[in-house]
Amino acid sequence: MITREEIIRLTNEALKAEFELTDEQLVPTAHLQQDVGLDSLDAVDMVVVLEQKFGMTLRQGYDIRSIVTLNDLYDFIEKLAREAGK
Amino acid sequence: MTETPSVVITGTGAVSPYGMGVEPLLDGLFSGKGCMHTVPELEALPMVKTKVAATVPEADYSFIPRRDRRSMSRMAKYAYCAARETLQSAGYDVPPKDLGFFMGSTLNSISVWLEVSKNCLEKHLELVKTSDFLQIMNHSPLATVSQALKINGPCVGAADACATGLMNIGLGYMAIKTGLVSQAICGGTEEYHPMFSACFDIMQATSHNFNDRPDESCRPFDKNRTGLVCSEGCGLLFLERADVAKARGVPILAEIAGFAANTETENMAYPSAQTLRECMQSALDSAGMEPAQIDLLNAHATGTLIGDIAETQAASAVFGPACRINSLKGHLGHTMGASGSLETIACLAMLERQKLLPTKNLQTVDERCTPLSYVTHCEDAPVQTILKNSFAIGGNNCSIILRRPL
Repeated sequence: MITREEIIRLTNEALKAEFELTDEQLVPTAHLQQDVGLDSLDAVDMVVVLEQKFGMTLRQGYDIRSIVTLNDLYDFIEKLAREAGK
Repeated sequence: MTETPSVVITGTGAVSPYGMGVEPLLDGLFSGKGCMHTVPELEALPMVKTKVAATVPEADYSFIPRRDRRSMSRMAKYAYCAARETLQSAGYDVPPKDLGFFMGSTLNSISVWLEVSKNCLEKHLELVKTSDFLQIMNHSPLATVSQALKINGPCVGAADACATGLMNIGLGYMAIKTGLVSQAICGGTEEYHPMFSACFDIMQATSHNFNDRPDESCRPFDKNRTGLVCSEGCGLLFLERADVAKARGVPILAEIAGFAANTETENMAYPSAQTLRECMQSALDSAGMEPAQIDLLNAHATGTLIGDIAETQAASAVFGPACRINSLKGHLGHTMGASGSLETIACLAMLERQKLLPTKNLQTVDERCTPLSYVTHCEDAPVQTILKNSFAIGGNNCSIILRRPL
């Protein structure tokens, strides 16, 4: 089963590559919009790159408004991974 | 009839195979430097005869903010750099309010299209990102650059293949004449992909007999020419009403004295001398000028067998055998949608420096080209007016007349 640490590592890896971010920006409490600087177009592309990274569908039931911080994002992916038996 | 306002050019910006900016472009042209090279993708294709192209040197575009850059294909990045330079050259740090923007390209980014197509073919449409889509929209460079630089007037792009750059200058000229805008950035942008070379190759329109000497491969009007060399870049010009420019106190590079466009309807790929003649004559009529008042014809001449002959026949019919004529494709190759505007920038420099650029690689004029006064070396000459042509596959022709400011 994928660990939360692994989820954080893979998520951060994908976000850094796609959005040219640094480790310093990716603290768990960081606000995706205000602190990390992602906008609505980035949010759409983020789903695509994370789906590729984790090999599972994120877009169904995905509600960007409910994901405010990086921690929210990790929680969301972890929940889906558990549901998928990963 | 109400007199329409005069339109002048007050700024320029360029990205070309000579590098980033107008200065390297003009340095390259006036020094006769070469910028062509062999292309490994073409060398790997035995069926494709041409092996050469001219491309913009690799550059780091990370200075463009990520949010703007994420939706930019390579040709949009060229356009961003050229637009910034154009604004600065016209005396602006930020675009003036209601600035118009008229720019297009022949195709959108083939390299991005291929990435998207790969996902389509492999039935993975879910992998297509928004930023991919934004890079392959037909008006992607126009949209992304206007967003990035906050150009908020009308943004419209003519897409007329090889005539795109000049056609957009014509659009901007007409938009100012008719009062739609008082200022506009105009031109064309293009990014090279070997597909361009392969397509023109199958049409028997590429250079293939100088593959071992790339800088000699494009030879407009020369008896040993076999065709064009594909190239890329972006050329943009700042157009404005003459009274606005004078009120701002900025230097005027040239007045646009006339413009005309027409369409060849008999053949999509081969322009007739008659249609080209009519296009140039219409430009003269729109300027209220006689042929004898034109000091130089800056030809479209790409180095193809048929196109060069037709253009010289048309030039002779309009101007007679004393017509001074040059083409800049021997230097730059065919920058496609950017050619009309990049070459117009060179025309402005010829007006300013009072020098005529030669047709690079023109050693012996093809006897099938009509006798004219071909410029074969860089020469000092009094030049007050230039008529510049751009013609496109598809039959889209246009001619512009530039007049040196008094």
